[in-house]
Amino acid sequence: MSAESLLVRKIDWGTVLDHIPAWRADQVVRLLNLESLKRDADVSVIVLYNVPSRKLGRKDIVKLYHYMVSEEEAKILALVFPQITINYIRDWKVEKHSPGLPTEIVGKIRCPETTCITNVEREPATPRYIVMREHGVIACEYCDTLLEIERIPDFLRE
Amino acid sequence: MVGLVLRSPAGGGREGDTPLALKNTIRGRDIISCRDLSRGDAELIFSLTEEVVSGAARLENTLAERKIALIFVEPSTRTFQSFYVAARSLGAEVLSIHDPEVSSIAKGETLYDTMKMIEGYGADCIVLRHPARGAARFAAEVASVPVINAGSGSQEHPTQALLDVFTIKSKLGSVDGIRVGMLGDLRFSRTIPSLCYLLSNYSNVKTYFMAPPLLQVRREIELYLSERGVEYRKVVEVDEIREVMPELDVLYVTRIQKERFPDPTEYEKVKGSYVVDARLLSYGRRELGVMHPLPRVDELSPEVDKLPNAWYFEQARNGLPLRKALLYLILGEAG
Ligand SMILES: [Zn+2]
Repeated sequence: MSAESLLVRKIDWGTVLDHIPAWRADQVVRLLNLESLKRDADVSVIVLYNVPSRKLGRKDIVKLYHYMVSEEEAKILALVFPQITINYIRDWKVEKHSPGLPTEIVGKIRCPETTCITNVEREPATPRYIVMREHGVIACEYCDTLLEIERIPDFLRE
Repeated sequence: MVGLVLRSPAGGGREGDTPLALKNTIRGRDIISCRDLSRGDAELIFSLTEEVVSGAARLENTLAERKIALIFVEPSTRTFQSFYVAARSLGAEVLSIHDPEVSSIAKGETLYDTMKMIEGYGADCIVLRHPARGAARFAAEVASVPVINAGSGSQEHPTQALLDVFTIKSKLGSVDGIRVGMLGDLRFSRTIPSLCYLLSNYSNVKTYFMAPPLLQVRREIELYLSERGVEYRKVVEVDEIREVMPELDVLYVTRIQKERFPDPTEYEKVKGSYVVDARLLSYGRRELGVMHPLPRVDELSPEVDKLPNAWYFEQARNGLPLRKALLYLILGEAG
């Protein structure tokens, strides 16, 4: 039995996010804005930190019981964590999902430029980014400011 | 082909009209970023500007039925006046919110609400100066009428760049192949990005970014220029400035503001090295043109004013005809 199966049981329905870099599961939780599920009594979130992994040495795992990650969320996860594995579980059956990369990200990320219109209080301007994967950045469509893809978790909106 | 009416007699009659044999690609458009302007767009604006300057095109009263809103959420007297005079001389009615201190904006009205309100007043076009980057893009999404960016924070100032490149073209005859040095605060200057974007339409242009590391151009500009194959060189060391001077056709100077420096002693160190005077110009070619968006402080010595290298007063004079041409192209008759 692997260390992982010792630590937590399999789930019959939901999403398993595997191969998250060690100690970065919190960023995944924040990216998915899972706190908004607080009132959803049916959803459970199981977070595993620093699990031994053949591929990564150590890794984090997030199991979302009774929650299916949306296609949009899956794409952003794959962008920020290129190594991530997204598994949808339906009736114990595991289906590995390989999302494409997003070309645009709407909402979710706060612009790092403090003088950007999207950071002006009460102004109803939703941050929107063009993904420039080949340059490792996303670009704010309003103010042109660039943000490194690996820094995206530091700029998640509440 | 859309025939532009460029020689409307003052009475508004059509006799003697000579159409400009260019398609009006500007009509009804927002002018938010110079990245949205192709070489053809710029050349169209320049050819009409040229006719306004020479007097061949009289656009007076061509926009008599139109309302142009000038919303300046930041003190700016020059750009405001330039747009105001341009709009009035075209016969347009001007709605203006100029002094944010006394307007509803000071009471905390959002840009979104201001746009909705001004559209409700029947504005056909909105000219916006705003301290936030991205403000013009956002305003254009909110408003259904064309929005002209008259300065969006430190991001862009497209009409300034248009009049700058128009000036270069009229002085040198061509923009292709020129070498442009940009000196001073390249990081916070709103004119520099617009100028770079517009110049990238021309072939074989090379730019020199002459500034200390703290005030160098933002990364997105470097990325854009690389993607478009525009050669640029960063000149960081003060000694290097003199070295590259002989290569330049144009030296574009911007203001260095003290408040940009976290450490005032750093500012004092930098200040003296970025002053353009007769001595610095002596390292350059005899025909080197010196440009500045004005107003200046200490970075451009008055002793340059009387030299043939001083292009900046002519540059400033081109603001009005260029803005007249632009407003006409956006709002004028389709022909
Ligand atoms: Zn932004």
